[in-house]
Amino acid sequence: MRKRLAEQEESAIDLTPMLDVVFIMLIFFIVTAVFIREPGPEVIRTDTETDVRQPRIAVLIAVTADNEIWIDNREIETNAVRAIVERMRAENPNGSIVIQADEDSDSGVVVDVIDQARAAGAPSIAVATLND
Amino acid sequence: MKRRIAREGDETEVDLTPMLDVVFIMLIFFIVTATFIREKGLDVLRPDNNEEQTENNNVAIVIAVDGNNDIWVEGRIVDVRAVRANVERMRADNAESPVLIQADRTANTGIVIQVMDQARLAHAPAVSIATVE
Repeated sequence: MRKRLAEQEESAIDLTPMLDVVFIMLIFFIVTAVFIREPGPEVIRTDTETDVRQPRIAVLIAVTADNEIWIDNREIETNAVRAIVERMRAENPNGSIVIQADEDSDSGVVVDVIDQARAAGAPSIAVATLND
Repeated sequence: MKRRIAREGDETEVDLTPMLDVVFIMLIFFIVTATFIREKGLDVLRPDNNEEQTENNNVAIVIAVDGNNDIWVEGRIVDVRAVRANVERMRADNAESPVLIQADRTANTGIVIQVMDQARLAHAPAVSIATVE
């Protein structure tokens, strides 16, 4: 009888396999974690057919219908885009730059932003389209 | 006495529970902060002034978008959906000719992107955007 009690006391669940799984999940999430700073405002995107998925995004820039330029939840001036993009690209040098341009924004403003991003040395610049 | 010492020695396994707690909290933090941003987009090209002068043999197909969001091809106003057919027809003469979209600065980005999409549907090799005042 006593012996059986002792056996029951020792029947703690072995947590090691669960710990292994949890560690692997943890490492996966740490490795895939990319902290992209979203621009803030929601824009109305254009529906297109030849768009491609943008795999590595370093910087997101939004241009609203009122022609305001937003990066990282702040509204900025056109000539400040280059400096900010250069600074943000330092964290992810191979990432592309995606411009979320509203349908009703002026193309002149968007082209100015593209030129500023190009001057900052971005390898590829894309305009975001409707995600379907 | 002897028995107690023996049992304690058996039980000296490391208690993993606190570490498991910490690891779980880190796991939850990384799951919550993980943002899988999926963006689709069109790559945009800007015309290079230097290249334009060297590639004179390939005359660019020019599509203009004016401030009223009208699309002009060869002096005519065309619909967005007709851009593809027009570009295909003009590419039949010279398949290598690039497409240049001349957008007025006040033209809507949506229209310009749609024109770009149509030109790409017509398999134009290079579609670039220029703005005019």
